[in-house]
Amino acid sequence: MRLLLALSRRRRGRSLLARVPVADELAQTLASLGRYDEPERARALGFDADAVIARGRALRRAEGRP
Amino acid sequence: MTAALGGLRADACVIGAGAGGAVVAAELAEGGMDVILLEQGHRHDPDGFTARPPQMLAKLYRDGGQTLTVGNPPIGLPLGRGLGGTTLVNSGTCFRTPAGVLARWQREFGLEVSEQSLRGCFERVERALSVSEVTPELAGANAAVARRGAERLGWSHGYLRRNARGCVGSGVCAFGCPTSAKQHTGITYVPRAKHAGARILTGASAERLIVERCRAAGVRAQLTSGVSFEVHAPIVIAAAGTIHTPLLIARSGLGSRSGQLGRNLSLHPATAAFARMSETVDMARGVPQSFYVDQFAEQGIVFEGIAGPPAYAAMSLPLSGARHAEAMSDYPRLAQLGLMVSDSSRGSVRSLAGRTLIRYDLDDTDLGRFRTGLARMRELFEAAGAREVYLPLPPGTEPDRARRRDLRLMAFHPLGTARADARAAHGVLDGDLRVHGTGGVYVADGSAVPSSLGVNPQLTIMALATRLAFHLLGKEVPCHS
Repeated sequence: MRLLLALSRRRRGRSLLARVPVADELAQTLASLGRYDEPERARALGFDADAVIARGRALRRAEGRP
Repeated sequence: MTAALGGLRADACVIGAGAGGAVVAAELAEGGMDVILLEQGHRHDPDGFTARPPQMLAKLYRDGGQTLTVGNPPIGLPLGRGLGGTTLVNSGTCFRTPAGVLARWQREFGLEVSEQSLRGCFERVERALSVSEVTPELAGANAAVARRGAERLGWSHGYLRRNARGCVGSGVCAFGCPTSAKQHTGITYVPRAKHAGARILTGASAERLIVERCRAAGVRAQLTSGVSFEVHAPIVIAAAGTIHTPLLIARSGLGSRSGQLGRNLSLHPATAAFARMSETVDMARGVPQSFYVDQFAEQGIVFEGIAGPPAYAAMSLPLSGARHAEAMSDYPRLAQLGLMVSDSSRGSVRSLAGRTLIRYDLDDTDLGRFRTGLARMRELFEAAGAREVYLPLPPGTEPDRARRRDLRLMAFHPLGTARADARAAHGVLDGDLRVHGTGGVYVADGSAVPSSLGVNPQLTIMALATRLAFHLLGKEVPCHS
């Protein structure tokens, strides 16, 4: 996975990946996953992972959930 | 290295704490048996969940969620790992086995199962997991888009039943439920098993089953630390999942007589389309899988809701470069729907140089189902008022011209690799889910299921595990209704 991501960040790597569609698709998927996981970017799109987790933790504590 | 772990002995040893193993372990322990439950993964504390897909994929899934089939096309097959197995990371959808499927099992596989005979098992599981239908409010706006399209087209649809209690629609079922609302087996059946006295060993990989004179004698296993140990038990239940149970049975030199071990792999290959709507959808608010359209179920095509946070959407949005970035900038208005095919293709599982090889090629019939399904999905989104529809196909490719390699597929619900068939020449297990020709070795996971279900299988696996447990206890399943 790390290799794929490293290749996708380099011009020569990208041209190499383009020859193997499955690897290219996987590299693009992983890159997108990482990019939109950044908290600020996600928050700008309306998703705040920290808030989701905080709400979950509060609910579990308040109601004695596992 | 072999070290004694205090001479482990039990009445029954269960391998795997997912949908099947956790259920059978709890029922046996509560029924008075001394049970040891081995789980390769670990217990996942909800305090360690982050709602961030990359971190959770690495933590909760086998191979970081990147398990791939080999074939045309290659297909991602996400599998959970830990107490709860895939129930830890699935969407929680609960369907009973369709009556038509049970009739087929009777007719083609000689299995004595029917809606009537399994009713008590289903009711017991549904009570244990608090199964109920999602409300429209909790389903959220993503489901409302699909519902609007289905209603305008007059297509059959409904809200799904799920194993959740006190769900607030966190939108990250696949990445660890932060509220513990999802009643996965790691927080339901596993604690019950423990409370009833079962010993639970996590980080314990089963290496092989020990069989003496054609009867189960125990399990040889290894801890993550490298310490090997044996559990001595006259009853062994393999529940390591459809991919790994057949490999375990094969490593143990069992189940090969019919030639069916590791074969007959059935999946629900799936894909998903996006639509850009005028209204705000905020797909991560609400239950991701809450709604279905079964208008084409007879043709093997079902639509089910699917959604997730931006990172998840970004990795499945079928665009690239500037178009991808532009569509993602409008994430709050993106809607998504999944297309699941009840397959006629069949694959296989085997071990090659110590690695698991999952072979699966999509056949012509299933390719046709995807072509039809994608065209219908576009129709649905357009009826719902979509401004743009993004099908998971290369630019300029119409659904009816799609080739296998054009499809971007994931697959779920692997089944059938140690299928049950009353006839020893045709199946690995008998009607009681015992390995043909071997006393005391049973299977309680998806590998026992002899055919594709067309619906999410967790309830079927749990009901069959319940049936097996009460068979081993020599008792009737208590009637709740």
